[in-house]
Amino acid sequence: MKVALSWLKKYLDIPESVSELSDLLTFAGIEVEDVKELKALPASVIAARVVSAEPVPKTDHLQLCQVDVGEYPFAQKGEDNCVQVICGAPNCHSGMIAVLALPGSILTDLEIKSAKIRGIISNGMLCSERELGISDSHAGIIELPQDVLVGTSVNELYMLPDVVFDLEITPNRSDLLGYLGIARDLGAKLNRKLIEPELTELSVNFDRLKLGLKNMEPELCPRYTAQVFDNVQIAESPLWLKVALIKSGLRPINNVVDITNYVMLETGHPLHAFDYDKLASEDTNASHPDIVIRKARPKEEMLALDGRSYILEGDELVIADGQKASAIAGVMGSEFSGITPQSRRIVLESAAFHPGSIRKTSYKLKLSSDSSYRFERHLAADKAHLISQRASNLIQELAGGELCGPLYDEYPNPLPDQYLAIRPSRFQLLIGHSMSDAEIQAYLSCLSFEFKGYGRYQKGLQSSLEQLLVNDASVLPSQEYAHYYLVPSFRVDVSREADILEELARLSGYDKVPQKLVNQQIMDRHAYRIRNKIMDWMVNWGCYETLNYSFCDPRQMEDLGYEPQSLPFINLINPQSSNQSVMRVSLIPQLITNLAYNLNHAERNVKLFEQAKVYHKTETGHQEPMQMAAIFSGMRSAEHWQSKAQTIDFSWVKGCLESMLGSFHLPHTSRSCERPYLVTAESRAYFSEDTELGVFGRLKPELLAKWGIDLSILKQDVWIIECNVDAIVAKTRSVSITYQPISRFPAVLRDLSFLAPLQVQYQDIREQILAIDPALVQEIEVFDEYRSKQIPEGFRSLSMHIILQDQEKTLTDERVDQLMDLVQKTLTDKYDIRMR
Amino acid sequence: MQNQLATMLEEAGREIEACATANDILNTKAKYLGKKSLLNGLYGRMKDLEPSERPAFGNLLNEARQQLETLLNAKSSAIKAQSWKKENTDMDFSMPGMPSSRGGYHPLSIVRRQIDEVFISLGFEIAEGLDIEDEFHNFDALNTPADHPSRNLADTFYVEGGRLLRTQTSTVQIRVMESYQPPIRIISPGRCYRNDKPDPSHSPVFHQVEALVVDKGISMSDLTDTLQNFASIMFGARVRSRIRPHFFPFTEPSAEMDISCVACSGAGCRVCKGSGWLEMGGAGMVDPNVFDILGIDSEIYTGFAFGLGIERIAMLKYNIPDMRILFENDLRMLNQFRGEL
Ligand SMILES: [Zn+2]
Repeated sequence: MKVALSWLKKYLDIPESVSELSDLLTFAGIEVEDVKELKALPASVIAARVVSAEPVPKTDHLQLCQVDVGEYPFAQKGEDNCVQVICGAPNCHSGMIAVLALPGSILTDLEIKSAKIRGIISNGMLCSERELGISDSHAGIIELPQDVLVGTSVNELYMLPDVVFDLEITPNRSDLLGYLGIARDLGAKLNRKLIEPELTELSVNFDRLKLGLKNMEPELCPRYTAQVFDNVQIAESPLWLKVALIKSGLRPINNVVDITNYVMLETGHPLHAFDYDKLASEDTNASHPDIVIRKARPKEEMLALDGRSYILEGDELVIADGQKASAIAGVMGSEFSGITPQSRRIVLESAAFHPGSIRKTSYKLKLSSDSSYRFERHLAADKAHLISQRASNLIQELAGGELCGPLYDEYPNPLPDQYLAIRPSRFQLLIGHSMSDAEIQAYLSCLSFEFKGYGRYQKGLQSSLEQLLVNDASVLPSQEYAHYYLVPSFRVDVSREADILEELARLSGYDKVPQKLVNQQIMDRHAYRIRNKIMDWMVNWGCYETLNYSFCDPRQMEDLGYEPQSLPFINLINPQSSNQSVMRVSLIPQLITNLAYNLNHAERNVKLFEQAKVYHKTETGHQEPMQMAAIFSGMRSAEHWQSKAQTIDFSWVKGCLESMLGSFHLPHTSRSCERPYLVTAESRAYFSEDTELGVFGRLKPELLAKWGIDLSILKQDVWIIECNVDAIVAKTRSVSITYQPISRFPAVLRDLSFLAPLQVQYQDIREQILAIDPALVQEIEVFDEYRSKQIPEGFRSLSMHIILQDQEKTLTDERVDQLMDLVQKTLTDKYDIRMR
Repeated sequence: MQNQLATMLEEAGREIEACATANDILNTKAKYLGKKSLLNGLYGRMKDLEPSERPAFGNLLNEARQQLETLLNAKSSAIKAQSWKKENTDMDFSMPGMPSSRGGYHPLSIVRRQIDEVFISLGFEIAEGLDIEDEFHNFDALNTPADHPSRNLADTFYVEGGRLLRTQTSTVQIRVMESYQPPIRIISPGRCYRNDKPDPSHSPVFHQVEALVVDKGISMSDLTDTLQNFASIMFGARVRSRIRPHFFPFTEPSAEMDISCVACSGAGCRVCKGSGWLEMGGAGMVDPNVFDILGIDSEIYTGFAFGLGIERIAMLKYNIPDMRILFENDLRMLNQFRGEL
């Protein structure tokens, strides 16, 4: 719904700025979809009279106009106060009062200058609404009423500057479909009084014009009121009314129709006006017309005000005269009974309809209107007569109509008063903070909920307060202590305590809802996940998890090659035995024990790991770092009749550790590693920056004898992985995965085979190739290494795939060849490789 | 002419069926649909017919053409599919498939992770602490009297520097309460130590998980519901739980938690020694003294705590008769749990 601030201010004092108001609306629960600022126009945009308009020869639409600007000071005007302007609008005619933008005026998207058009000077422009930024209408230039003074500023006429809010009203809040409703809600939020338009009782000239009224469908039309007027002067609406409608997105038509629309926008309740003289009687002899509220007859046809003819099926509600449908109830009136410039006597309808019926009809006919939009959201019946009175006042004031009869009112079952109890204690329970009785009453009074007294809580709508109110409510326990309110009839959405509590929460502000501490974040979730993932990795790589005591035998560390004095042992005061006399500093000795145990029990293929803490004495106390260690010996996998099992070797163990670090997206480097129990040449340590993440390597065969493992019998290597779990946890905290756009261009795969000197490392070759064009070289995959007597002494053969791809374009063969030549040249120069 | 057409279709159907290669298909197609085909010839003879008969006959020819094309396409697809691989009919389907090379978790890890899952789903946080602790966090803060026998060297391991190896993970609860104000909902799993000689039901190193909840309005009924939740998720929906009076220095009232026997469902058997119930661990409402020591207002907050032995749960769940089996790390034990979790 479009709401102009200038109009809204009629009902509420609003000194707030536009952005403050936007926030207020949003936090009152009314979503602001768009804010359109209508800027003030330059003072040089004025009302002016077109004195003459002559066609410009040899053009089909241009007219040369002399435009009277009155006393407005302007250098180029003649002695007759006229300015010469060329205008192309078809509705430009002499005698009209138009809007003239004089040279120098800057409008929304153009600056007006004196210009020559077809050799004729034009000193300004006659403007349309769109050119002034008031509406989207570009149907022609603006024609102002004749009583507008020449020279008047357009800002004054159009109430500029102004702001138009486009508000999204939730379907439950039919009461917000008019300016008054919005103002009431805002007023409640701001605790300001609503200024309602005053209604005057009109004097009635009884019995001049009669109307028959028959409601045959009280279910679908709970109330129908009609008033009849005589001597109505159909004319254009006054400018203020037109401007109000235009800003709210409606087109002015004539004063009576505009008044019904104006009252609809004001109150949210649609009205309709019929031409009294076009309505037929049921009985041809009768002297007055009839209005019959009934269902359509099957195949009944009606030409509607939108110019289309609708064929009704029979279950649509229509407002008929004595003979035929003259309106599809609540949706649209008929062409024949509409108000025309000739209309003198009119019938004003103010009614309430069953929302479901309107929705169904509107859906079925694919016809929706401002009226059906409102009725299908459920409007209350009890104020229909007041809405009619409001429109009557305006019809008398602006169209000179005389009220000619009583209020015809078919209202068989008036809505009963309904009361609702709410408990302040319940508000506290549901929302989380408390509200005083006075605060609650102030908010609800602004929303037109009338406070009736205190009492014992009763659930749901009550039709009577008898026996509910109590004299001394303070004795009631807080869970029963309640306020009773009369629910305003227009709040069809309020039927339970929770509905009102929601209103209170909304108006007092969701920002006041305190945040209760529900959960303390104590857990280190990242560490928990990474530790579990390391274990998962090892299990998926084929290992079984072991658990060993936290104690160990210090002599076993000696067996691993350590100087016992160099180790940060923590001694137990009361160990159970000398081989459990210290807290373990390494997981390795017990893993070797586990290996030996299983080898002794005839298991040849052993892959074990343990993830647990070790214990280090420090200068100030001690530390308990988490470690993961694994031990491997034998075959990589179980034997299978189809594929021969392979031995666990350097490459397999390296793959385990390297790809685990890779799976954590941890950038790492490796170098050789010195451990007293590892064969140095067959060990590597992995680092992230300077932090050691893990090592792997082959256990020195000679120390295994200490565990009773005889490699001369076993004839298989024993491999170790050790990981510094805390370091991996720490280093992965900052890792995140960022999606890389996939190139739309195909990748090219080229193979490269060459002989390389034995001392040249694959890693160096790889880095060299990648460095040649990092944007193009996506990946290098070595797929073969070959050593044999056929190959020159001191060389090996390497074969690799080089995968090239450009993010921007398809790679040409030339570009690829060029790059491959460069690769060969670089490698040849740098490493003395020989291409094959 | 219609007879001719029918004979041709019949003949073509047989020939298409007999096709064995892509080439056969091409030849057959040329023969029946090509320029010199009978069908094409019949199209040419349409002009000899009465104009009124032409549309009907034209339709007939079109139908025949479509029919032939459909047959040829179907046969062609079948030949293409077969050219990749013929059905393997002399395979022994009972030969073992490729085995998984995956390993497995230790049963204590399996149980520990299941317990984590249960409590995380109940909104608990996991808190961890040090194995080597001081007397304050292991005893004093838990309201243990200075002369309590559990502090003896015969019961508790001490290390140099006056510290000890924690005898329960309640130490973690104390540390959490020192650092955080309520609401607190944690479990603290971890290793514990008691100076017991290894035997079927004891181990100097064992694993515990303790739970602690501190908030406004926590009562013993929160404890019983948490316990029941735990029991039915870990051991099955039919398992019942109960608490019965007991004494612990840091809870008041204190209780021992039981679950109905998982072996006999409560009827009484060897596992439950005829009682129908299995002891799960100690529990109770946090003693106000403990709150006072830690600076938590015991007038505002209440809480419950309980402790469970992970070894005991694993032994019950998997019918493991001797706790020492869990620390031997025998692959013949470990590989019984592959695929679990
Ligand atoms: Zn039993």
